Amino acid sequence: MKSSHTPLKKNLKTLFDNKETYLGYENEEVITWCNGCGNYQIQNALKRALTLEGIKPHNILYCFDIGCNGNGSDKIGGYTLHSLHGRVISSAAGACLANPALTVIASGGDGGTMSEGINHLIHAVRSDYPMVFILHNNHNYGLTTGQASATTPKGFPMNGSPDGVFIEPMNPSEFVLNLNPSFVARSFSGDVKHMTYVLREALNHNGFAFVEILQVCPTYNKATPQQWYWDRIKYTDDMKNYRADNLKKAKKIVEDFEKNIYLGVLYQDKKRKNFLERLPNRKGIKTTPVEEVKHYSITSLLKEFE
Amino acid sequence: MKRTIVKIAGESGMGLLSSGKIIARALKDLGFYMTVDREYPSLIKGGSSNVQIEFATHEIRALSSKADIVIALDRHGLTEHIPSIKRGGILIHGYERHELIPELKAQAKKRNVKVLYLPARTIAKELGGSNLMVNMVLLGLLWKVLGFKKQELKDEVSRQFKSKPKLLKIDLKCIDAGYEAEGIKKVPTYTIKRNKKVPKTILIDGTESLSLGAIHAGLRNYYMYPMSPISGVLTYLGKTSHETGIVVKQAEDEITAIQMTIGSMHAGSRSLVATSGGGFDLMTESVSMAAITETPLVLALGQRPGPATGLPTWTCQGDLNLAVYAAHGEFARAVIACSDQESSFELIQHAFNIAETYQIPVILLTEKEVLEKYSTITPFKQKTIPIKRGLVTKKADLEKLKPEDRFALTKSGISKRWLPGSSKTFYYANSDEHKPDGRITEDAKPVADMVEKRLRKEGTLKKHLPKPIIYGAKKDADIAFIGWGSSKTVMLDTINLLKKEGIAVSYLHYDYVWPIQEKPAQEFFKKNKAVYLIENNFRGQFGEHIEAQTKQSFKDKLLKYNGRPFYIDEVTAYIKKRIKSK
Repeated sequence: MKSSHTPLKKNLKTLFDNKETYLGYENEEVITWCNGCGNYQIQNALKRALTLEGIKPHNILYCFDIGCNGNGSDKIGGYTLHSLHGRVISSAAGACLANPALTVIASGGDGGTMSEGINHLIHAVRSDYPMVFILHNNHNYGLTTGQASATTPKGFPMNGSPDGVFIEPMNPSEFVLNLNPSFVARSFSGDVKHMTYVLREALNHNGFAFVEILQVCPTYNKATPQQWYWDRIKYTDDMKNYRADNLKKAKKIVEDFEKNIYLGVLYQDKKRKNFLERLPNRKGIKTTPVEEVKHYSITSLLKEFE
Repeated sequence: MKRTIVKIAGESGMGLLSSGKIIARALKDLGFYMTVDREYPSLIKGGSSNVQIEFATHEIRALSSKADIVIALDRHGLTEHIPSIKRGGILIHGYERHELIPELKAQAKKRNVKVLYLPARTIAKELGGSNLMVNMVLLGLLWKVLGFKKQELKDEVSRQFKSKPKLLKIDLKCIDAGYEAEGIKKVPTYTIKRNKKVPKTILIDGTESLSLGAIHAGLRNYYMYPMSPISGVLTYLGKTSHETGIVVKQAEDEITAIQMTIGSMHAGSRSLVATSGGGFDLMTESVSMAAITETPLVLALGQRPGPATGLPTWTCQGDLNLAVYAAHGEFARAVIACSDQESSFELIQHAFNIAETYQIPVILLTEKEVLEKYSTITPFKQKTIPIKRGLVTKKADLEKLKPEDRFALTKSGISKRWLPGSSKTFYYANSDEHKPDGRITEDAKPVADMVEKRLRKEGTLKKHLPKPIIYGAKKDADIAFIGWGSSKTVMLDTINLLKKEGIAVSYLHYDYVWPIQEKPAQEFFKKNKAVYLIENNFRGQFGEHIEAQTKQSFKDKLLKYNGRPFYIDEVTAYIKKRIKSK
């Protein structure tokens, strides 16, 4: 295994230099995830990425969906909004459209994102809201004790599906790449360095940054454990001639989930303007809606009714 | 005190709305007060529709069931609406083959209705106009019947169609032809008293009033999924968005719309979501989320009759209990009800203040009847309602904050709120049950403490809510009513009308319907021997709450649930019958 995008020494030094910021993301809450859960490392990578980007905890709004990851809603430093199952993308979108100065990071699982709230995902990609969305894809409903999700592979007995899932699973990154997105990246919960790199790219993206993290679930997901992934993982950064600006190519390499699973920034459109920048009625407005709350004169609007 | 009532009936798509608007604007310029409403089915073309215009020299707010003059644009309008013309009234039409409708003449004769016919279609065509210009011919005739000067109508039409000079020319010729009424032996003419001075008014509906109130109060993010009868808010805020700079986003569904609203409010904007009953049903889980995270939420709920699709384009007050009981879990909320244009403009501003001060969901009820009816009213006064956000904003205060301040167990139930990013002290807004700093807890005592804290807000709110208002007779009333929503408009008109006849009516009106303030109702019951309920739903939902909380009973309940609003003549008849039987 190798990942060329992890200039380790330099990163470690920056992390050390910014330890004050890093410590701001730590808190004393007892973590309630299972031993070996992928969430530990995803949270770890996120804290590193934020520190390396120099973003202070109080300038962040984390938006959490419901599920195992959602139970981490009070276990990281920063403002949070813990939403409802499947709805996190929408509440986060509302927050970033009100205060684009905040770093809005939403996260949800494969249950909430690919089933309950898939409409929100589709339209957030289409609308290109300026936010990061992290999909924790562990191929099952963990917190409700291991039911099948839309990404559960075929043929493994699950809670409530003793014969295993017999319909095709969804491939989230492939799905999103077909929605004309502005940013799609994929990483793996076993690789903190790669996740850190991908999350930094997402934090720097102007628009809706979709990050799928393939996550192990040691308790309920016996089908795709850690080693299963390691046997298949490839990095786009190790591919000759792979450029993230080619949507067609991204769609091609993401199709396969059996032999080669490619990780990296799969696609990014750096030129696209985000939703707020494209709003025709707010051209030239420099303030954020949050700063604009005050009495507005309606005198000129009333003329129509006189 | 006399009002004149004109109704235009025809199919949707025949230019009813624009004809109504022309008449209304022209009457406004003549100094009349008026109320205009429309009835129409849930479709774009065809079906039977009508616009009713009631005008007088004094303010009027509610409708009558019968018109003085009906203009029928199609055959259906012709036959259907004869029963809705007052005895001795006038029916105007341009339907050439009216002689072929035998029941028309018989019906007209029976009700002593004069039928005025002009071959409007032929006239319009001969003048080079389209089918739609039939309306102009008939408006010309109407103007003659009303006894007004031709030029006054032509001035208004010229103003409205300034941008289409070619068509305007034909329009004006059509009006001339209608006014000349060639072929009608004797055109009956009204003598209508006018105001000496043209009062300064605006002609506006409840949708526009609510939207303007929101704009005035600092709305910056608006989200909506379209649904009758409240889609007009999206139309208006969209139309004015370049002037206001408001972020207007049509969401992919109702759940998205309310979630985006909660997100924007949490971040610190003033945000609004509007929907009708079915859409609100979808939103209710999110209302519950706003409650536990103590995120301010303002939701405008435009009522139409249900269940399910029900009657999309008709009116009711059937969703009070929905607003009061919707969403799982126990929590404090405010339910406020608009009754007319002024209250729509003002109550939305109060709704924002209450939502932000108390950090609770506020449901602002309105009705098809309130949203779409337009009237001449005194122009809105601005800055009479201060913006109250209940936020910690001073730098020194922000520096002193502790995370546990956010949901601190206060006596009032209200804790400090500050915006994400505004202080280095952050907090967790958790949809799981939590401790004062927002950290998740499932321990018995802190859970109970937090439930109690949030519900204490209900008592605090109840203490500070504006009291319901008594309209009409303050004492010695012959009859008394309690109501909410659009009932106010019919009660106000009825009070004035019956006062002239020596009947004193007292009406206790609730703008703030939940939490219920039972004391004013108790006093009202004490003061009045017979108190009646007026409510546009089947159960008398508000009445049931009043009875339960006051331990008093209504003498009788005036209820209606057929999609129509209360008409003045129907309420006056109800009152007279009750007084007679006393």
